[in-house]
Amino acid sequence: MKRREFIKKSALTASAVYLSPVLAYPASSGKNLVARVTGESPYDITKRSVEMLGGMKEIISKQDIVMIKPNIGWNRKVEQAANTNPEVLRAIIEMVFDAGAKKVIVMDNPCHKAEDTYRRSGIKAVVEKSGADLRYTDENRLVIHNFKGEKLKKWPVFKDFLEVDKFINVPILKHHASAGLTIGMKNLYGIIGGRRGKLHRNMGENIADLAKGFKTHLTIIDAYRILKKNGPVGGRLSDVELKKTIICSRNILEGDVVAVDLFGKKIEDVPFIEAAFKRGMGEKDITKINLKSLNI
Amino acid sequence: MSVKTNKKKLLRIISQILFLVVFFYLLIRTGAAATESFVYSDYFFYFDPLLLIINFLATHTLAAIFLLSLIPVFLTLIFGRFFCGWICPMGTINHFFSWIFRRKKTSGVEVVEKKLLKLKYIILLFVIVMTIFGTNIGGWFDPFSLLTRSTTLVVNPSVNYLTETTLKAGAKDTGILAKGLKPVYNFAKEKVLPNKKRGYLQSVLIGIIFFLIIISNYYKRRFYCNYICPLGALYGLISKFSLLNLRVDTKSCKECNICSSGCTYNGSPFKDYLKSECMVCYNCEDDCTPDSITTEFRFKGVERNKIDLGRRRMSGSIVSGIFLSSLPRISGVSISKTHPFERPPGSVTEDEFLDKCIRCGECMQACPTNFIQPAFFETGIDGIWTPILEALTGYCEYECNRCTQVCPTNAIEKLTLEQKKEFKIGTAVIDKDRCYTYADGYNCAVCEEHCPVPEKAIRFREVDTWNFEGKLVKVKQIYVIPDLCIGCGICENVCPRSDAPGIINTSEEEQREFEY
Repeated sequence: MKRREFIKKSALTASAVYLSPVLAYPASSGKNLVARVTGESPYDITKRSVEMLGGMKEIISKQDIVMIKPNIGWNRKVEQAANTNPEVLRAIIEMVFDAGAKKVIVMDNPCHKAEDTYRRSGIKAVVEKSGADLRYTDENRLVIHNFKGEKLKKWPVFKDFLEVDKFINVPILKHHASAGLTIGMKNLYGIIGGRRGKLHRNMGENIADLAKGFKTHLTIIDAYRILKKNGPVGGRLSDVELKKTIICSRNILEGDVVAVDLFGKKIEDVPFIEAAFKRGMGEKDITKINLKSLNI
Repeated sequence: MSVKTNKKKLLRIISQILFLVVFFYLLIRTGAAATESFVYSDYFFYFDPLLLIINFLATHTLAAIFLLSLIPVFLTLIFGRFFCGWICPMGTINHFFSWIFRRKKTSGVEVVEKKLLKLKYIILLFVIVMTIFGTNIGGWFDPFSLLTRSTTLVVNPSVNYLTETTLKAGAKDTGILAKGLKPVYNFAKEKVLPNKKRGYLQSVLIGIIFFLIIISNYYKRRFYCNYICPLGALYGLISKFSLLNLRVDTKSCKECNICSSGCTYNGSPFKDYLKSECMVCYNCEDDCTPDSITTEFRFKGVERNKIDLGRRRMSGSIVSGIFLSSLPRISGVSISKTHPFERPPGSVTEDEFLDKCIRCGECMQACPTNFIQPAFFETGIDGIWTPILEALTGYCEYECNRCTQVCPTNAIEKLTLEQKKEFKIGTAVIDKDRCYTYADGYNCAVCEEHCPVPEKAIRFREVDTWNFEGKLVKVKQIYVIPDLCIGCGICENVCPRSDAPGIINTSEEEQREFEY
């Protein structure tokens, strides 16, 4: 009930802000806008990309409890591009606090040992400094969530993700052999528990069901460094490519479509995009997407 | 007990607590605490002359670092068996429980269980003979190995489990209790307890043994130290020549036997002072009301009552040691051409490993993912509690070399992180009857995803195959490149099959046996 209320409220405030004429980017700010910003500093381009969508205030209401879900899956360093860039995270946490959030939680269900991944990724240091709450998964807090999907019905989810008002998804763009790529929708694997590997069968369908059955308020894709090969864990620096780009979108599917384009893959290579399109989650054709690019 | 505690006794208690705290601090730091900078807890092992002897006998080489154990040996020549009473953490724990279980009054003169006291010398002799003939079982009895093993495999996980369960149950409740406990639970879960529950395959057996050792203190004070510990026996032998002696003033002594009420070897110091058994605890000096008991430095010992092992017992121990040492060598895995189990990265060849390993469990404590497990009889009957790798409980973390840093006897040799990443523990082998990409004919590849080798030792090839519906489909089937695979076991660990994994980590091509 609470969640529904907040969704309603946020929809109301969002539309109110949308109608108001005083905006940083009035012409481009639409609810379906996807911002793609390229630049030298990951911190700056993250901030700019959110501003292009109308600023964090459009998404976050005062006194909100906000969950930020980066990819902290692997015991790897920033340069190896297996985890979300901590600088991107720093920018987002700052913006969320500035927008009046009461509490910010950063959390992921990693593949490697959580204590190691949180530390080596550099995310622990940044988050602890920022005043946000860095949380580890706790298997005692798993609850069964009904995704009401076509393939994926009920699956255990960490309560922490369901108890918040707003959810910001911060994936890193990476190669992923079985899913095609890992971007926004694939990043939602981090909210669930249980034997996640089981979902690799019909992975595309499952990912689309996961993304549809769980409300994401904002997706900020870190494509500053991308892992071109041997993902999602990587390790070799020669597989990493500097793209210096952030993609920001409210629609999780359309953000992913832009990311696939940036990576240089075809939509057909990424099954979950097709599956999400079939579920009516948005456009899969990049020419039909309201995309604004900026180079700073 | 007198109202005023003897200063020497007080000092002894402080020393015991101090060394106990240091021991546990080092051990916990070795553990999988979320830090990369940690101190090694094997320092205690280097001060253990028993390990010096058995390590020398087993490997025929002298590890220089074990010469540190000559320091307590030298000190024993002066102060007697002070090590047991003042330093040994296992001794302190036994001492503490003996004190907990103490009885109010001793009626009559206690008779020293001399027969039982001989047992530890027999065990010492037995252990040494076994080691000479190729079966190193020193670690079964050595107090440091015993305590490290018991703490790592039993006490630590058990305390964590009980804490979590209690707090969880409390936090679930509604009302005031839950309100108070919830923040405690959250704090404990975030900061203190390990993120994932830890456990060990041999915890039950080791736990029961540890429990019995603790409970035996009810029967006799410091039971383990007096009757079993071979290190205590070794110090007992050395302390025969020590300078520090007990002196009983026979004129003032009322033979009240109060000195027996705290004696660590369960004796009556006023009439049968056993120098080799005395742990210099100063309890008798403290307890003695007429102050008849004192200590003095003297060259000539005044042992009132000697322990004589007897020729029969000694030869019996030697002969049985020789005979029994051959048994593990002529049976079980040691005569098999292959061994299916794997050892931690950096391990030496199997024969040398069994010689060197003292079953202390340091590597298991250091392993952050619970991959290293104590063996039962998998590696032979004499290999009990040696470390083996169990991919169903953990995996070898690619960016970690902690287990290679903590082994006190170098059964696991020191490797840098770069060396460890290259070290081939074993190889993954696909079970095609189970792997989804073969048996059921659909894409899965969780193992490929997790493979930490940058070039990927697990890859796909697209093939036409029949799936579980009988249809001909294109499937990305996995295959392993043995030359790249390092045998870290994460593939087996993450395999989504619920019954048994479709890919198994085995000792195939393990580097320690075949380097080419």
